[in-house]
Formats: sequence, C-alpha cells, structure tokens
Amino acid sequence: MRLYKPEVEAQRFWNPYTQTMPRADLDRLHLKKLQTVIAYAYARSPMYRNLLDRNRVRPEQIRTMDDFVKRLPFIDKKEILDAQAVNPPFGEALATSEDFFHQRFATSGSTGAPLHIPLTYHSAELWGESWVYVYWAAGLRARHSFYFPFNFGIFAAFWSAYMGVRRLGATVISGGGLDSKARLRQIEQYRPDVMLATPTYALYLGETARELGMDLARTSISHVIVAGEPGGSIPATRQAIEELWGARCYELYGIAELGPTNPGCPLREGVHLCEEWYHALVVDEAGNPVVYGEVGEHIVTSYIQDGQPLIKYRTHDLVRWTDEPCGCETTWLYYPGGVLGRTDHMIIVKGVNVYPSALESLLHRVSGLSEHYELHVDRDATNDFVTVKAEARPDVDESRYGDLHRDAEAVIRSVIGVSIGVAVQKPGSLPRYELKAKRFFDHRPAAHRWQLAERPGA
Amino acid sequence: MTHAETLERIRDLQARVRELRRASDNPAIERTMQLLDLYCHMARWELGDVEAMTPEAEGR
Repeated sequence: MRLYKPEVEAQRFWNPYTQTMPRADLDRLHLKKLQTVIAYAYARSPMYRNLLDRNRVRPEQIRTMDDFVKRLPFIDKKEILDAQAVNPPFGEALATSEDFFHQRFATSGSTGAPLHIPLTYHSAELWGESWVYVYWAAGLRARHSFYFPFNFGIFAAFWSAYMGVRRLGATVISGGGLDSKARLRQIEQYRPDVMLATPTYALYLGETARELGMDLARTSISHVIVAGEPGGSIPATRQAIEELWGARCYELYGIAELGPTNPGCPLREGVHLCEEWYHALVVDEAGNPVVYGEVGEHIVTSYIQDGQPLIKYRTHDLVRWTDEPCGCETTWLYYPGGVLGRTDHMIIVKGVNVYPSALESLLHRVSGLSEHYELHVDRDATNDFVTVKAEARPDVDESRYGDLHRDAEAVIRSVIGVSIGVAVQKPGSLPRYELKAKRFFDHRPAAHRWQLAERPGA
Repeated sequence: MTHAETLERIRDLQARVRELRRASDNPAIERTMQLLDLYCHMARWELGDVEAMTPEAEGR
C-alpha cells in the first residue's frame, strides 16, 4: 500500500498546474500575488510602510508588472537590520503577532549583526513545500527515508528541508548530536535513501569514510541533495559527490532570509525559480532587469513570508536567468549553473568577468587536486588579481606539486583567457567546515566591489 | 474533476471548517480546524486562487 495513489505518484510534477503554466498566465498570476503581498506588507509592516511612503508609492499604484519593476524600491539586508534594531529582535520589520510564530531563526552574523527570521506555521509549511519540488523532481516519494547529518540549530535551511520531508510524507532520520564517524555508522545501520548536506560536508564525509575504511559508494544512499552553497550545479563538484557516494546529486538553492527559492532541475544542470511561492528579477548594476541569458543580481520577492515580508529583496547572488526550455518541461524560469557567485565576489581580471563557481569547476578538472581550495582577491592600481590556494590529494607525491600548479594555471588560462596564479598546498593545510565553507577572501577596497547604483528603485 | 470544480469544493470545505472553528469550544478541535483552514488556503494558492496572504489575515 502506498501513501499516494499510483497514478498520482507517477506524475512528473509536484504541482503540474503551476509548473506547466504558460509564461503569460504565470506572469498574470505573479502580478496578483505581488499585489496581495505588497498590500499586506504596507498594512502590517512599519518597515514597508515607511519604505513605500519614502518612495512616494502606494500599493494600489502597482497595477502592472512594469509598475512593480520600475516604481517599487529594492530592499537590502541593512534596511531590515535597521528596522529590527528599533525594537529587537524583529522591531519594525514584523508584520504579524508573535502568537502566530512557529519558529525563530537567525543568520550567522558573520558579516555583521545577525538578521532575525520569524516563521509563522504557514511560512514554515510552505518553506517545506518549496523543498518538495526538488524531492519530487528527483523521483523521491513517501517510501524514501532522508538522513540529516547535522544538529538542528538556529539556521533555517535544513529545518525547512525537514519540513519538506514531512510535507512529502517521507521518513526522517536525524544525525544530530553525533560526530561524522558516528553519522556514517548510523547510515550503515539505518540504511537511508537520501542524504541532505552542504556540498562541502558531503565531500568531507569522504575523508572521514577513508579513515574508517568505509566505501560510501556501497552505502544505501542513492540520492544526495545539496544546499547552502554552490556546488550541486557545478558539474565537476556534482560529479565528485556522485562518484564518492555512488548516488545522484541534486541541488536546492535557497537564501536564509527568504527560504528555499530555487529547487534543482531534474536534469541537474541548474535550478528553477519556485514560481509557486517566489517572484524574481535579475538586474544589472544600474538596477535594470537584464535580458534572458544575461547575468545579474538575483532580486527576490517571497509570497510566503507573512511574519516578515520581503519584497524585491537584494540577495547579492549572481545568476544567469533564461526562459529557454531546459528539457524537463516545466515553464518555470531556469538558472543554468545555479548561483554563479556573489555581487561582492565579482572579479574582473583584465576586463574579463571571473566567477568563483567557474574557477571551482576548472580546479576539479585537474587530476591530483582535491576539492579543498581558497580564492584570494586583491587589486593593484587598475586590475583585480586572484590567487588560488588548492590542496593536493593525499595520494599525490609532493614532487608532483609543480606539475599540478602548471596544469591548473594552464586550464584556467585556456578556458577563461586570463592568467590566475595557483599555489598547491599540502593535504590538510586548509580549514575544514561542517556547513558552509569559507572559500572567498576579498582583500580589495570596498569601492572596487560590485554594487547597485543609488537611484529610485535601486 | 476540473480545476474549477476542485476549487469550488476547497472553498466550500474551507467555509465549513471556519464555521466549525468558530463554533467549537474544544482547544484540540479549534487547533485542528485552524490547520485545516491553513491547508485549504495553501491548496487555493496552489491552484491560483489568490485571495489573501494568510489564513490569519483572511479569517480575523
């Protein structure tokens, strides 16, 4: 007996109604949802009322998508932090009574004060549902079991993944409170089908498995779902995870403040915008939407953030969007390659845009380099310049490091067209991380980083 | 069942659930009806029937 009727379980899409909706109908529906969320935020969130009043726009003036794009201002993390600081933790960003809270989260605060995130029960359910789109696309159903190899802390991401498993109706196995070795033993004992992790941790468990003499490709894990940092849409990283685990690797791209915005495409070369619960623009440095096929900053509006609405929120993530079909037959917008980098990580070397995700992909092509690397960016009088520190694999003799250095520099020069220095490091010399890895070190003056121009709507 | 028929049934169900929520003085039933209301709301959005942002905003 199965939880879903067989003919329903066989469906390709979790919600075929919106996932196959023609673009014009989707856009009409978006406008209705945007008008609803703008009216809600204006009526209930002092932060949004102030923002719209300052920009002399009222919700009823947003009659068309063009009005939304041109008249409504962007909002950035700093403005939310300022609104929260009025009466911490949520202050003027709050739009509902705490009676409706279900969970409270916060960002790490690694780049400043932590941003507090209130989720109502309604939001928590729908953050969970946003994960179901990638589960369903990956062929996962209620009969599958999902392993969570980390502690459930104050960070929202994998809590929402857990809510997604509940929404799907599948089984959860928690590896909380255990170290990596104990988690691997638990995987052997409970035989889960799916593991959720950051790409960094999925690969790190490979080192732990080697210490235990364990072959991860022989475990029960058939699917690895990665989130929290780029990797799942970077072919070489995905391949490394798939070979290590003997499993198929899928990605979900989410943003701490907004939730799981982009479930991975089943063809695994990129992610889709979850157009059920989010709207997005991709804009250039002047704040204008770029044409499909171009790269820009991802600007997202959530329809499911009733505790703390976020409308035209600047994510600082760089993505390439397209309305071209990816082959999986959904009509939802497609971002090939997932997140390409951060606006504050944008590097221009001799006039060429260099994306950290592209460098990661190229490093993986060099046989003998491990997945551990760091990018250090600095600037001379006229140019950004990049130095890569990349660890050799443990089985590579130190006498070969010179060859690795030459191979890595050559492959980067041949693909990107500019010279980037690569320093090969001994195994274990770079730090290890259980959640997100810190790989990008920016030593440039702030004035030389990508930023949206100050203008109405920007 | 057509899209319109599905929506009609969900709206009808939600109206009955709300009526029961208001009428009940049992905390367990009140909470269950709140959740049913929320799921009806979600189902309506999933089918493109956008009326309000949250069940709370609609219901109170």
